[in-house]
Amino acid sequence: MSARDRRITEIVVAGGGLVGFSAAAMLKRKIPGATVTVAGAAPADALSERLHATLPSLVGFHADLGIDEGEVLLGTGAAFRLGSLFEGWSGKRPAYVHAYGEVGRPMGVAQFHQHWVRMARKAKAPPPFDSHSPAAMLGRGARFVHPQGDANSPLSSFEYGLTIDPARHRDLMRAFCRHLGVIERPAGIADVRLGGDGLVEALLLDDGSEIGGHLFVDCTGPAALVRSRLAGGFEDWSQWLPCDRAVFAAGPGSADPPSLDTVTAHAAGWGWQSVSRAATSHGLVYASAQGSPDFAGETIVFRPGRRSQPWFGNCVAIGDAAVTIDPLEWTNLHLAHSALDRLISKMPDRDWSPVELWDFNRECAAEAERARDFVALHYATADRPEPFWREAASAPLPDSLAHTLALFRERGRLPLYEEETFTRHSWTSVLLGQGVLPRRLDPLIDLVPPEQSEAAMAEIRDGIARMVPQLPTQGAYLRQHSGVPA
Amino acid sequence: MKADSVQRIVIVGGGTAGWMTAAGLAKLLPRRIDVRLVESEAIGIVGVGEATLPHIRAFNERLGIDEAEFMAATRATFKIGIEFNDWGAIGDSYIHPFGGFGHGTGAVDFHQYWLRLKQAGVSVPDLQELSMGVQVARQARFGLPSADTSSIASTFGYAYQFDATLYAPFMRKVAEAAGVVRTEGRVVGVSQHPESGDITSLTMENGDVIEGDLFVDCSGFVSLLLGKTLGEPFEDWSHWLPNDRAVAMPCKTATALTALTTVAAMPYGWRWRIPLQNRTGNGYVYSTRFIDDAAAADALVAAVEGTPMADPRLLKFVAGRRRRSWVKNVVSVGLASGFLEPLESTSIYLTQIGITALIELFPEKRIADIDRDEFNRLVDLEYDRIRDFLILHYHATTRNDTPYWDYVRTMSIPDTLADKLELFRKRGRVVKYREGVFLDASWIAVYLGQGVVPEGHDLRADGPPLDQLARGMAHVKTEIAQAVAAMAGHREYLERYCPMEPMA
Repeated sequence: MSARDRRITEIVVAGGGLVGFSAAAMLKRKIPGATVTVAGAAPADALSERLHATLPSLVGFHADLGIDEGEVLLGTGAAFRLGSLFEGWSGKRPAYVHAYGEVGRPMGVAQFHQHWVRMARKAKAPPPFDSHSPAAMLGRGARFVHPQGDANSPLSSFEYGLTIDPARHRDLMRAFCRHLGVIERPAGIADVRLGGDGLVEALLLDDGSEIGGHLFVDCTGPAALVRSRLAGGFEDWSQWLPCDRAVFAAGPGSADPPSLDTVTAHAAGWGWQSVSRAATSHGLVYASAQGSPDFAGETIVFRPGRRSQPWFGNCVAIGDAAVTIDPLEWTNLHLAHSALDRLISKMPDRDWSPVELWDFNRECAAEAERARDFVALHYATADRPEPFWREAASAPLPDSLAHTLALFRERGRLPLYEEETFTRHSWTSVLLGQGVLPRRLDPLIDLVPPEQSEAAMAEIRDGIARMVPQLPTQGAYLRQHSGVPA
Repeated sequence: MKADSVQRIVIVGGGTAGWMTAAGLAKLLPRRIDVRLVESEAIGIVGVGEATLPHIRAFNERLGIDEAEFMAATRATFKIGIEFNDWGAIGDSYIHPFGGFGHGTGAVDFHQYWLRLKQAGVSVPDLQELSMGVQVARQARFGLPSADTSSIASTFGYAYQFDATLYAPFMRKVAEAAGVVRTEGRVVGVSQHPESGDITSLTMENGDVIEGDLFVDCSGFVSLLLGKTLGEPFEDWSHWLPNDRAVAMPCKTATALTALTTVAAMPYGWRWRIPLQNRTGNGYVYSTRFIDDAAAADALVAAVEGTPMADPRLLKFVAGRRRRSWVKNVVSVGLASGFLEPLESTSIYLTQIGITALIELFPEKRIADIDRDEFNRLVDLEYDRIRDFLILHYHATTRNDTPYWDYVRTMSIPDTLADKLELFRKRGRVVKYREGVFLDASWIAVYLGQGVVPEGHDLRADGPPLDQLARGMAHVKTEIAQAVAAMAGHREYLERYCPMEPMA
């Protein structure tokens, strides 16, 4: 028997939502000779399918598939987004921006944020950390330009995500799947048939038909209709991520949308507002134990945590079927796309060799845990008086986050871990934005005298402040550069 | 002007580790610390760590060291990789280059396409012929890697081979210029704080007492402070890495001056050959469980290619590391913290890691646990990964010509390595680490070089037609040949760039 005979060529994607069609498109595109079929409805309770704000990985995902960005902007009413503005998270401190780009620039051998910390320790009202980030300030000004290719440009070192309309985005991916030759079976999934070898044999659809295949990709949301039929546990993260409800409401979009979304802390949770050309999404995330807030919308119940082994046998869970996380920082769809990239780069054959599945599961676990830590960081370091927040601030932390926080609080250093989604610029933006100041300075900072680094910081701020007003608003930029009609 | 809270740093031992540490600390933390280094001319330095990894360039640059000046002073040559002879089987030879294969770009690793062609029975060049670094080294040429990332000439890196007995004095000059004070003499006593157990002072042979806040143990295998005084246990890895001796002997260079360290497998260990500008370093690393010192020295003398320049010199060691490298107010750097045989030139790298981590986690006078914990976490990570990489060379072999090779071939290996090996055997994939010294290309070079042949390949490599891939491979081979031909000879390059001063 040749190796070729064991190749995975028949792939069934369960769940016809944004994640399912994204998976189908990528698998069809990347796995030579594969037949890809999508079956079943879009899950209604999957956070990764509902959020408007997305991370920069979405842009890379489109590029990898060969989907033109202009087409996405025009066809779905999406807009660019540079990050989030966090309001009300840190006592009397001003709102801060977490944008996806470099903050400041290297000075000497110490990292930039150490220079800022040195200044902030003695200043009454230090210039905000994010005022040294071109992307953050572009966002505060509701402006947008693409990152510039010239490495000397202050606008070269940031990334951007998109504010999407998830329903329209799903339709776009679905149409793209058709274009690629993905087969669609819209009937619902009634049952799953397992073979004597313990593998999934077929999906039984509610129209009486069935679909067999080699590999089953479960994108059915938290229910994990297929993956849950095989062995494996669930790791609950409720002790670290206190919220378990998300309420969604919608309004009309804007022709000139902001390039930041707003994330506001509330008495027992937080709320968001994401605006694209197509729609405005707003909502609340809260802990049901604290009672229900007075907010009208569609409620999704979620349980934060992850499946211990997203891949088992011939079934791999992607999206909320694998990991459910508080949507703060919008990692949900990113984790789905990242798992998908990983699935493709680690595609085994029909021997389902444990070591290959182990390698996939190991990386997924590490990545999910690092994203969890980043989200939990916001709760652990928020500065608000309500009981919910006081409890969150004193709750025990995952060991990895406890180490990160201890090291940062002591000396402003971040430990390096594998499979980190967010850069150190992101971590420091949130930590310093939330008012976590290291107890002591990095001794390496001595090589640059305070006057010198403060002058350099002022120059960075002034440069950005002069530059931003000359750049177009997002609306103007969309019309000028992306062919969006006025 | 120094701050009031200035800390007194005492470095014990003036070999490579001691003077590198002194230079690093004094240059990068000038206002915080007074650095004193204690060494005795009566105690020799080990100083066989002559072959380095590319990371040393960043270290030197950070210290503002001029490359040509440093190379001239240490009689250095360039190093683009390590040549392994007789490892997977007697007669085999491969190079582990500093660099990758093909152009090294693209979502699918280059070697996956190569594997697919091989598995389809298509005739392809050896993967070694598709590595720029390997070919530059094989042909004894050298040129700086191109800055143009689209050029095949950008796909390799380089390190140095130098005389370690000259590197320490070179670093001493850097350190002393930055204010480090050297004290000559032997340490005869160590005083500890009665409650904390922290080390408070050293007593010298002449009665002088040297006080300090932080002590850096660079005393080599003796591990005077960490091991002897604080009693930190040694984690013995000799069941995986049984070599415990090296016999070294320099000779005149009789062969071409390659930018390569050669390590030849021997019946009971392996032999290094490191060409410098003025001589070639040689040594036999072996296990006394399988061969005695006299026989090993004879084997070395018989094997060296040029006229010997000194008598064989013996070194004793045990593979492993101290359980923790930083305990109380003692940070150990270099051999005082652990030893891994220099098969992959990691000695100076591990020293550098210790120094860099110490600088980046430099403590206050009152040391916080978190500084120590993070330092130890980083150092352990490096040791563990290098350990696995070294074991791979012994485990993945078909050699059965001596009891030594029978032992290492069949010994049980760490689970972490067993998983990595199985994953590569399946489909040529490498367990990904963002941190850690040896990246994917190194693992691939050694796996394939040692005869670990994957059963399958990455499915995405099935995309392009076979004949197109085969043409691509042939094209890469040609590109490399042209780029290598455009380079100067290694010796010629050295003579132009950094000729050593005439020998006294």
